[in-house]
Amino acid sequence: MTAEATAAEAFRVGVDTFGEVATDGGRVMSDAESVRLVVEEAQLAESVGLTDFSVGEHYREGMIDSATPVLLAAAAQATSTIRLGTSVTVLSTQDPVRLYQSFATIDALSNGRAEIVLGRGSAIESFPLFGYDLREYDQLFEERLDLFTRLMREDRVTWSGTYRSDLDDVRLHPRMPEGGIPTWVGIGGSPESVVRAARYGLPLMMAIIGGRPERFAGHVELYLRSLEQFGHADQPIAQHSIGLVAETDDAAREALWTSWEPVVERLSRERGFYPPTRERYDAEVESGALFVGSPETVAQKIAFVARANRLSRFDLKHDIALLPRESRERTIRLLGEEVAPRVRELLADDRGTWSFADRTPTRITRDGRAVHA
Amino acid sequence: MSTEKIELGLDTFGTLPRGDDGELMSYAAALRATVDEAVLADQTGVDVIALGEHHRPEFAITSPETVLAGIATRTDRIRLASGVTVLSSDDPVRVFERFATVDGLSHGRADVILGRGSFIESFPLFGYDLTDYEILFDEKIDLFHQLLDEKPTTWSGTTRAPLENADVFPKTESGRLRTWVGVGGSPESVIRTAKYDFRLMLAVIGGGAERFAPYVDLYRRATEQFGTTAHPVGMHSPGFVAETDAEAKRLFYPGYKETRDRMGAERGWPPMRQEEFVQEIEHGSMYVGSPETVARKIANTIRTVGLGRFDIIYSTGGNMAASDRLRSVELYGTKVIPLVHELLAEKPVGSAFAR
Repeated sequence: MTAEATAAEAFRVGVDTFGEVATDGGRVMSDAESVRLVVEEAQLAESVGLTDFSVGEHYREGMIDSATPVLLAAAAQATSTIRLGTSVTVLSTQDPVRLYQSFATIDALSNGRAEIVLGRGSAIESFPLFGYDLREYDQLFEERLDLFTRLMREDRVTWSGTYRSDLDDVRLHPRMPEGGIPTWVGIGGSPESVVRAARYGLPLMMAIIGGRPERFAGHVELYLRSLEQFGHADQPIAQHSIGLVAETDDAAREALWTSWEPVVERLSRERGFYPPTRERYDAEVESGALFVGSPETVAQKIAFVARANRLSRFDLKHDIALLPRESRERTIRLLGEEVAPRVRELLADDRGTWSFADRTPTRITRDGRAVHA
Repeated sequence: MSTEKIELGLDTFGTLPRGDDGELMSYAAALRATVDEAVLADQTGVDVIALGEHHRPEFAITSPETVLAGIATRTDRIRLASGVTVLSSDDPVRVFERFATVDGLSHGRADVILGRGSFIESFPLFGYDLTDYEILFDEKIDLFHQLLDEKPTTWSGTTRAPLENADVFPKTESGRLRTWVGVGGSPESVIRTAKYDFRLMLAVIGGGAERFAPYVDLYRRATEQFGTTAHPVGMHSPGFVAETDAEAKRLFYPGYKETRDRMGAERGWPPMRQEEFVQEIEHGSMYVGSPETVARKIANTIRTVGLGRFDIIYSTGGNMAASDRLRSVELYGTKVIPLVHELLAEKPVGSAFAR
């Protein structure tokens, strides 16, 4: 087998949940039922061969993922091989010390399968809830990323900053493995965030939720050049997008529209962008960032963005408000059983200009040694 | 009165045990050992597993709700508690979110036990000032109490940002998390617990248990005055079960003495002597021995103090072998618990608040 084929086989395909409340036979499930559904879906994702299962962090009605580490710990004991991560952890309003402790705990309970994606989050509910000033959005993130990476990369940490009390020769526990757990930086489109990820030598997770995904190729180029300039090793690049897989293109398109329209309509009012129309929805499905369709359609689209954006991993957000649970389960099943093998096949056949190096996230220790996860 | 409803539980701080090779386990392995112990406790009929929150190198558990979530997945009936959650140095909103999630995962088996903690490491670690010890707990317990209504909350204080009509998720199925307050010996804390309609958990780590009977009386009288409910009162104390009294002492004492002397030195206590240990077992609050010995002592305490729940903290014997600790859990579930129920049935509990 050629090296390229092996690398294509290692292409990671996973699902993301934002803890959206689902419906079951037309009935809206309770928060508690939706909490348990997360664990059931993690098991299903593992059983159909998906490589990653990630949980978001939100603080609003209809989303039950406010305590992400608690959900991941439950999933850890229900699974044995799938990687468990976040999509994304709102680092700006989290304490890096508690974050280290809870993710070290998940890593222990999962025998080393914990990962984390750190981002500023596109939802802003956590700022007033935990008493942070939105104007300090970026400074908060920068300072916390600095502390979190130091906690992971160093044994004992002495640190001082603006947004948190000082640490004086602190050794946290339970201990993560040397160098920490694989930690990605989630970006939504800001070049500064791309460069920051490279500066820390951390892998890149691009959240692409609208427009043509291949326009992120510029960010990818910037990221790879920045990594080189900062003298860091190559890191994997991942993409997260919303989608739904069904037996046929039409069935998938209708199934998502019913849930997508009211959600985007509400967000458009809250965030001040254009309300959704069926035309815009269809355009997003055809050439934009919605990965909706039959297994073949979605596989072709993932393989296309994998080449364009030089990805080693693609995560599909498979839940959306009040989507029937069977529709969510069908997406997970088809993604694992049909889409993922087909994507790897397509990438092995034609890898385009990008070589999918079998890159794994690097852990960097204090003395500058890179430890591969 | 039926004694079947008396709850008998186990508490652990996740002290690092030794593996079969005699080597000290890693923190990660110690956490997995804790889950295994909880699974065995569930299978053998233990009513509650409680995990303490500590930030000292001896103890693996710093994030109890995260470990409880793992346990929720692998168990069916055991209640899942903290013991205690150090509320003073945490955020009540996050504490609620974590427990509501554990409650959902476990079909309503979560038990919140709030406390100030007997250790103070969490204060510098999370940037709190020990001089604010009282106000931190006062304010945070007040906010947590409001959050328990699971309705939009408006609150303001000095120790946290204000909330204005903040609605917090996930909601629980029962509509209210079962909540206790761990109390070490302050009458004010007992009265506050009654005022908020919380359950009372007495933390007793030494001396005769009977001297806590007045606290139970105080709690009951306070609930009458406040018009709240006199819930069953709990107590937790160190303990360890083995096949025989001699075996239990032999396995438990060296590690217990080492830990006790190390922590005692920080508090200015002299090293522990073997006579004190024996004294604690015979007349104090150390539940160490054969199933028969431990069961008799527990039944006696339940009766004398008037308790509705009793937990032994089984992880206090220092770095003992993981297999010995697991065996202790098994003996507690299969032998001690049935025997305690038998003993209590012989001579019914006189207390009005054992359910």
